[in-house]
Amino acid sequence: MAEKVKVPINPSIPSGEQTVWADVSSLLDLACKDLRDGELIHGENFNLFAAMSALEIMDPKMDSGIVCTYYSVDEAIESGAAPVPLSFDRTLDVQCTIEIMDHLLACEATWHKGHSLAQTVFSCIYLLKPDRTASHALLHSYCRVIRATCNLVVSVVSDARTHEEEDLFTMAYGLPLKGDGDEKCLSMLHAVEETISRQLRACKAPSSKKRVLEDIETLQTHPDLEEDYCKALLCRIRFRKHFYHVLASMRRSQGRGFELARKHIASCLSELDSILKSSEFLRSNARGPCKDGVEHSTTATGCLPIGFDASLNCRLSAPTPPRSIKILSWRKAIEYFQKLLHDLDIICSYSLDPLLEGVLRFVVEFQKFQPDLVARAHLQLLLVQDGKLYGRDPIFVVISKAAALPEVPRNHDIQKNEILVQLVQLVISLLKILCANAAWQRRKLGKILHDWRVIYIQLELAFQKDLGEISSILNDEKLCAKISKHILIWVEEQTYWIASRFLILGFELELYSPSEYCMVYWYIYVVLIKLAEKTHLKMLTSSETGKRKGRKKKDSLKDLARDYQIPPTVLLLQCQIYLAEGLTMRFIQHFELLQKASIPDHISYLSYKESTTQARSSNLDMHNCFKDARRIAKELRSSFSNDQERMAELRRIEQVAEHNGVALNLICRLGTLDPSLKVYFEFCHHPYFATAVVKRS
Amino acid sequence: MEAATAKEGESTAEFQGSDIEYVSYGGEHHLPLIMRLVDEELSEPYSIFTYRYFVYLWPQLSFLAFYRGTCVGTVVCKMGEHRNTFRGYIAMLVVLKPYRGRGIATELVTRSIKVMMESGCEEVTLEAEVTNKGALALYGRLGFIRSKRLFRYYLNGVDAFRLKLLFPRPELHSSLDMMAARNENAGRIDNVPSGERSLLQEIS
Repeated sequence: MAEKVKVPINPSIPSGEQTVWADVSSLLDLACKDLRDGELIHGENFNLFAAMSALEIMDPKMDSGIVCTYYSVDEAIESGAAPVPLSFDRTLDVQCTIEIMDHLLACEATWHKGHSLAQTVFSCIYLLKPDRTASHALLHSYCRVIRATCNLVVSVVSDARTHEEEDLFTMAYGLPLKGDGDEKCLSMLHAVEETISRQLRACKAPSSKKRVLEDIETLQTHPDLEEDYCKALLCRIRFRKHFYHVLASMRRSQGRGFELARKHIASCLSELDSILKSSEFLRSNARGPCKDGVEHSTTATGCLPIGFDASLNCRLSAPTPPRSIKILSWRKAIEYFQKLLHDLDIICSYSLDPLLEGVLRFVVEFQKFQPDLVARAHLQLLLVQDGKLYGRDPIFVVISKAAALPEVPRNHDIQKNEILVQLVQLVISLLKILCANAAWQRRKLGKILHDWRVIYIQLELAFQKDLGEISSILNDEKLCAKISKHILIWVEEQTYWIASRFLILGFELELYSPSEYCMVYWYIYVVLIKLAEKTHLKMLTSSETGKRKGRKKKDSLKDLARDYQIPPTVLLLQCQIYLAEGLTMRFIQHFELLQKASIPDHISYLSYKESTTQARSSNLDMHNCFKDARRIAKELRSSFSNDQERMAELRRIEQVAEHNGVALNLICRLGTLDPSLKVYFEFCHHPYFATAVVKRS
Repeated sequence: MEAATAKEGESTAEFQGSDIEYVSYGGEHHLPLIMRLVDEELSEPYSIFTYRYFVYLWPQLSFLAFYRGTCVGTVVCKMGEHRNTFRGYIAMLVVLKPYRGRGIATELVTRSIKVMMESGCEEVTLEAEVTNKGALALYGRLGFIRSKRLFRYYLNGVDAFRLKLLFPRPELHSSLDMMAARNENAGRIDNVPSGERSLLQEIS
């Protein structure tokens, strides 16, 4: 720039160290004249994120300021958007209150499902001004318990600190999440419940007793509707009470509140049933016509509730353009809470297995139900509290058990070893990752796989180098060598377990197309073989160690020979290996069929042609794979007869193996003769081992 | 970002493939055309900064498709260093509904990918809604794999797939051979067909 520009220093803002504030308006003016239309000044730090975060003022798609009906909550209230009471007609007031309760439930479920608190639950104007409802005991206590519950849920999720993708959930700035006196919400709710229970008793009492009860004011003005309105309110209030208790009991450390929580879960579920049942009555006495069909409505009556405006605080929702949010329907919301309560019940009835293998299996089983964030956060908080399993067992002790480490003398310092401290951290992060949603879980597993590989090498080196050092601490070189061997085998086993989980999650996330199944199963096959190998090795070494302890030498040799049979856990893996192997070859055949049917060859398939030639001769092998899988699965039934979950897995394996065996037979007999034969794959029997379906087109 | 492409069974305009003219981004006069198309067909709102970010920094990667003077399709991309790989990125791909199903999107995106390849990119990525069957099929045909699922990626709450296309690299084979040699005792792992490259990379 040729001209010299004077930039006035602005003294009203205090200067920092070596910096001053200056008014650059004049500079900008000149710069603007220099720029032609459409030119962009691109600073190095102006990246895609910065570009996408930029907002265009006055564009309704981006400017959250211009889409509001009201400029402020006060203005909304002044305009009569949230009257207290809702109506001076007491029946209408009850009707409107129930609608608010229903819509709030729908908002709460929508929030749990991933939308911002500001645009869901806190679209309720009554919640935004806690003191305004004080004169309306029913609405007031209900609003309080909602706020308190939201608070509990936010703290569970933020304590679990799941991850950035779900951050939106806990974002609550600018919202009155904590009202003064919300901690008393339960006693207030209880008082309201008592009053309505008395009103219910009064209206049901035979006329002879009515006189005694006459001084009780009725809930509303229509005697014939009194009983049903009392009931409709009671189940809604009781649900809130029990739900609050569920969350509070589950927060007690080491799962101590689980038994109590289960009782409240059962009560919640039965109140939800009553809430559902109340809808018929409520609908037939609705204050107005149902707007967009009961199915999509956010209330039992189908009427739009009074006192909500989602646009009021959309400026608080997130640093993103305003988004229109579809609130879940009332029915869907109830389904959501039923599911959530079932998921929480699974957690509460968990036996707190002290063995890591059991913990991992439990988490994987739990994730099969696809639990939502709140349930997953609870599970994570249970598993890792204060850096201990269930807040109870030190992770190093858990690892020692899992790796079947020989007992180390009491005053050992081995767990202070830097790498073993890291190993403890790896186990903790593995447990946390396994509680995340499947998409994020898979990505993170892929990343920590590397860490497990690295720590294996570090451990190996450390044990070589430090053998002298550690063994001098332990004063026993043999013991030290044993510890090294056990830990290394275990770390490898875990690594392959993580790899198999990583691959298997790809099915759930629909990352694989049928054309890729072949390589995926091939990879699963390779990983499972490794896993079975390590598991077997671990079991062998630990049984060796165990045996040497209390037995005389001459017995142990004999025992070893007799006991040498493959443990059921390994055989189960073997079973899955056969399926994977069988499927690998099956899919190669699948390609052949496709090519014969002259479906265009694809460039990325080219590499498979080599392996195809290898596999062509092996119809019989393939058949044997499925046969072997079935055979082992059958034999294993007796080993797992007390284990429902593994029995189910065996049944699934048998079904896949059987169907694929039959399909293979068909293809062998007809495949080359009948060009109309269509082969495709379904996951009807097993979540990740596909079943081949053969049909004539 | 996202892409809107052919869905089967949609009504199509009557035209010949040769009637479509493909043009590389030529300057400010093309910008309103691109913005109108994207605004009309995609759910995400983009600011002017986002468009300029792309078309000014990588004009050679943006293309427009015209039918008798009307812009009916466009592709907008970028490329750059990403965690030690030189990566191309397809930001927006749009073809107007009546013109879908005739290979316009494929042609647009292929042109961009070609330039990326010539510019030394090692891979190309993009995101697409998991529900966008048309786009997923299109990129599937071009050899893209689904490398990740992104939980509630879009403002509308829908998940996305991160799709990835790895360009063949000669040096990969030799490193694979080395790995295989190291794993001689590891059973079948030494038979890794070259197609498993992407999985291998993610795993190791």
